[in-house]
Amino acid sequence: MPMAPDDDTSFDYNAALAGCARGDRGALRSLYDQESRRLLGVALRIVRQRQLAEDVVQEAFMNIWTRAASFDALRGSGRGWVYSVVRNLALNAVRDAAREVPVEEDVMEALDAQASAQAHQAMADAFELQASLGRLGDCLARLDPARRNCILYAYLDGCSHSEIAQRLDSPLGTVKAWIKRGLGALRECMA
Amino acid sequence: MNTPLQEPDDLRQLAGEYVLGTLSAARRREVAQRLPGDAALRAAVHEWEDRLLPLTALADPVEPSAQLWQRIEGGLAAAPAVAPPRRRPVSGGGWWNSLGLWRGLAGTGFAAAALLAAVLVTRQDTAPAVPRFMVVLVAPQDKAPGWVIQASDSRQLRLIPLGTVEVPQEKSLQFWTKGDGWSGPVSLGLVKPGQPLQVPLDKLPPLQPNQLFELTLEPLAGSPIGRPTGPIQFIGRAVKVL
Repeated sequence: MPMAPDDDTSFDYNAALAGCARGDRGALRSLYDQESRRLLGVALRIVRQRQLAEDVVQEAFMNIWTRAASFDALRGSGRGWVYSVVRNLALNAVRDAAREVPVEEDVMEALDAQASAQAHQAMADAFELQASLGRLGDCLARLDPARRNCILYAYLDGCSHSEIAQRLDSPLGTVKAWIKRGLGALRECMA
Repeated sequence: MNTPLQEPDDLRQLAGEYVLGTLSAARRREVAQRLPGDAALRAAVHEWEDRLLPLTALADPVEPSAQLWQRIEGGLAAAPAVAPPRRRPVSGGGWWNSLGLWRGLAGTGFAAAALLAAVLVTRQDTAPAVPRFMVVLVAPQDKAPGWVIQASDSRQLRLIPLGTVEVPQEKSLQFWTKGDGWSGPVSLGLVKPGQPLQVPLDKLPPLQPNQLFELTLEPLAGSPIGRPTGPIQFIGRAVKVL
């Protein structure tokens, strides 16, 4: 699968965030033009509903607008910060929903089937796109497939421990251990 | 730090699972609440965010609906951005005894606090612990907010920048407080522009409504006499938040 054609690295995220901090709407718009498609893609994978994903991206841009002044370029990348805002809102949405709104059985099954198909595709993509992942790709490739799957299910699809356990048909405790060791191995590998 | 002796490995693990997204809703909220006041945890989270960021490329881009930008823009109009902080011109002497200034600021501080409280609620990723006190530090001249102080308990407070400020070379920003009935202001330390600061209040009486806070421009190593000597840059009074 080809990468998105607008995937260039010349965009100055820190400058756009500085513009937002100054109250420059053009800066927010440029960030939107640059990144909204990919941010919506990331949000949709996690929340799995189109409307909810758009809500998440909308709230994220509002957050970016009001919080841009608090972003510190010395502590992380501007692009990383923008994605973390979107992912955190998306994860909050699914975790809160899981706690507060019991999903009906048939909806659950449909989501599950859809999610499994997506996850399957994600695994294939993970290998196909490994070159673009750089060092992270190399380190992921060194993990046991089970640990790698756990990390990708969680990061990309927003799966909880129990959702991963269900998908991998493995005990919850095992999944927790895989994730713990997987993260530890990744960190060492990328140090 | 409010969690004593947390092992670095535990911290990295917690940060990793937070970024990965595998914490429960309750644990997520816990971490999000700790982040502003816990530099080590924040650093670990930033590391994981940047480390795993390339994985976002595995999600296929999706074209937003035509209305999405309009909704965002509409939201901006409904919630005007906070005026960006600017460098303050030097004010004249005698500010400390200017009761009129304090009284005026108490009023504007209250209004600004109400506005900022709304902003702060929306800028948290999850519902924060409700601060018991909040102070908005504004520039004396134009009342532009520059810093926010939050105290979720009476033992420590956090000074949070709303932007960066320029400090002349060979000068420092010093943080002061004074409660009603105190003989004089007490230093809470030097502040790095644009950086948050966490201050334990062990050696002071508990925070009280209307307690005064300010940042003054002082020599690089701080005021040599233990009282503010330079011009006030930002000032505000504590407002109790329910």
